[in-house]
Amino acid sequence: MSLLRVENLHRYLGEGDTRCHALRGVGFTIEPGRTYAIAGHSGSGKSTLLYLLGLLDIPDQGQIWVGDRETSRLTDDERTAVRNEHMGFVFQFHFLLKEFTALENVMLPMRKLGRLSEEAMRAKASDLLVAVGLGDKTRRLGTQLSGGEQQRVAIARALANDPGLILADEPTGNLDHTNADRVFALLSDIAHQRGQALLMVSHNPELASRCDHVFRMQDGVILP
Amino acid sequence: MSPALLIALRFLSARKRAMLMSLAGIVFGVAFFVVTQAQTAGFESYFIKTILGVNGMVRIEDRIQSTRSLAATQGSDFTIAVEGSVKYIPGVQYPNDLLGALKRFPEVTAASPVIRGNATLIANFREYDVKPYGIELASFVNVSDLDTQIIDGSLGAFSENPYGLILGVRIAKRMNLQIGDSVLLDAAGEPQRFRINAIYETGIDQVDRERVYLHLPAGRSLLNKPVGASFIQANVVAPELAPALAMRIEEAVGHSTLAWQEREKTWLQVFSVLRISSALTISTIIFISGLGMFNTLVMIVVDKTREIAILRSMGYTREDISRIFMLQGGIVVACGVVFGCLAAAAGTYALSHIPIRIRGIFASDHFVVLWDPWHYVGAAVIAVIVVMVASYFPSRRAARLEPGSIIRGSSS
Repeated sequence: MSLLRVENLHRYLGEGDTRCHALRGVGFTIEPGRTYAIAGHSGSGKSTLLYLLGLLDIPDQGQIWVGDRETSRLTDDERTAVRNEHMGFVFQFHFLLKEFTALENVMLPMRKLGRLSEEAMRAKASDLLVAVGLGDKTRRLGTQLSGGEQQRVAIARALANDPGLILADEPTGNLDHTNADRVFALLSDIAHQRGQALLMVSHNPELASRCDHVFRMQDGVILP
Repeated sequence: MSPALLIALRFLSARKRAMLMSLAGIVFGVAFFVVTQAQTAGFESYFIKTILGVNGMVRIEDRIQSTRSLAATQGSDFTIAVEGSVKYIPGVQYPNDLLGALKRFPEVTAASPVIRGNATLIANFREYDVKPYGIELASFVNVSDLDTQIIDGSLGAFSENPYGLILGVRIAKRMNLQIGDSVLLDAAGEPQRFRINAIYETGIDQVDRERVYLHLPAGRSLLNKPVGASFIQANVVAPELAPALAMRIEEAVGHSTLAWQEREKTWLQVFSVLRISSALTISTIIFISGLGMFNTLVMIVVDKTREIAILRSMGYTREDISRIFMLQGGIVVACGVVFGCLAAAAGTYALSHIPIRIRGIFASDHFVVLWDPWHYVGAAVIAVIVVMVASYFPSRRAARLEPGSIIRGSSS
């Protein structure tokens, strides 16, 4: 069974004269343990697609299947629960909660899922931070970390609940070349090692080409 | 600890100064509310205690003679009742019968006949208008606090002297009289001599400057009323039972019967208005604190828009987000109520020790306060309602944020 399946997705954005058809019948499948890139020019609809796949937006038409569950008719709370359990997000900006340490930021999704004890959550978050190379900075606040380090904390946070799918929106867009390369390598390695799928939106053709599969988008459709 | 509570606590630290200002407002609001209520309720309860100690809980006075009559049309059996005016025959003609009747009311704990009139007190070549109250000392102390109101002399000396006199402190001062002095009372043109055995002070100005107590037989002789009584003063098991009981007594014995609540209605209303007025005034402090809380939470929602979006993306529901902000309000109001109540207790204690000489409607040499847990409950309820309403709207706004559009907006 595919991890994620999309059929005939349509999405309109804006209202009145500014209304535009952002996605025009997009469809594809995502398999576990593989990395995918959505590439395209600005306004091609790639971010719109990513937010629909992350259940942060609702399509006007079409279906999104997460595993065997069709999500277009789920309530807001049900979609939120699916996100919590099956998806991890990495955005262009890290969006760490600055009042929390790196460890506590990583524990936030686990706290919501509520399946682990406090000690187990702490140990797992610590392991994840070690995995992203921040084992010695677990107690630092987000403001005490560099941009690259903050983004690595965000990656660890995205992996907290062992989601099947990691959705990344320009995860390296705010980093210098060295850090960008390191963050992508980290995401790619984790996806392959853990059997998780990585779906990444990127303007960077070099990074996109390093993924297992690239969806090229133009004017709201995926090019063949 | 729930994740919502943990996040709420951390978010609170984001705007410490504003939160502390709101907290201070709630603390002061709760404290002032309780202290003012303790003070006004204290004065009111002390006034009630004083007035009950002077005039008792229930007074059975004039006999009611209904002038209701029956009217009938000529040559017909049909009759209807016609209400006429109620006629009052002054005083109690058969006090012993009435006292016997009162024994059938288990709520009545004590009753005492009193004869009342007007007289002129003559002493030291001066005259002073007084109201003599002829009492049966043994029963009267059960329907009044006369024994505790004595500030000079003794009731023992009075009880042993058939022509003893108990004088109000204001009369004694005005006439320059002391214990053991002999005075004349003239009520019916035949002055009678009495000896002052005690001086009392109720604190009620009007009583202390016109009322003198003498024995019932001496009073009857002085006022030329050989039988009967002016009224029966009675106490009941609980002051709040007096109005209902008064109605039942009036219906049963046919005498006008007045409960203390009706008798002191004017003063009680004054206290009630004062208490409500002070509560409303002080509540504005809490309302303003609520507004401050509202502003602070709105600012936090604006500040934390991206954090809210990321929390939503990682699985926190709208309800979780709402709870985070409601909890912030809850934490502040909980701290505000606890510290406010502690400050209120300290303030009430301090206030009760401030020396102030009060005479007029009661006698006190310091502020009178009433320790009533309901004042604390009332302040807490007002604070909780105000702050939680103030927190509701920012929390709803936070919960309505759409994470996708915020994150996209931040990324672009």
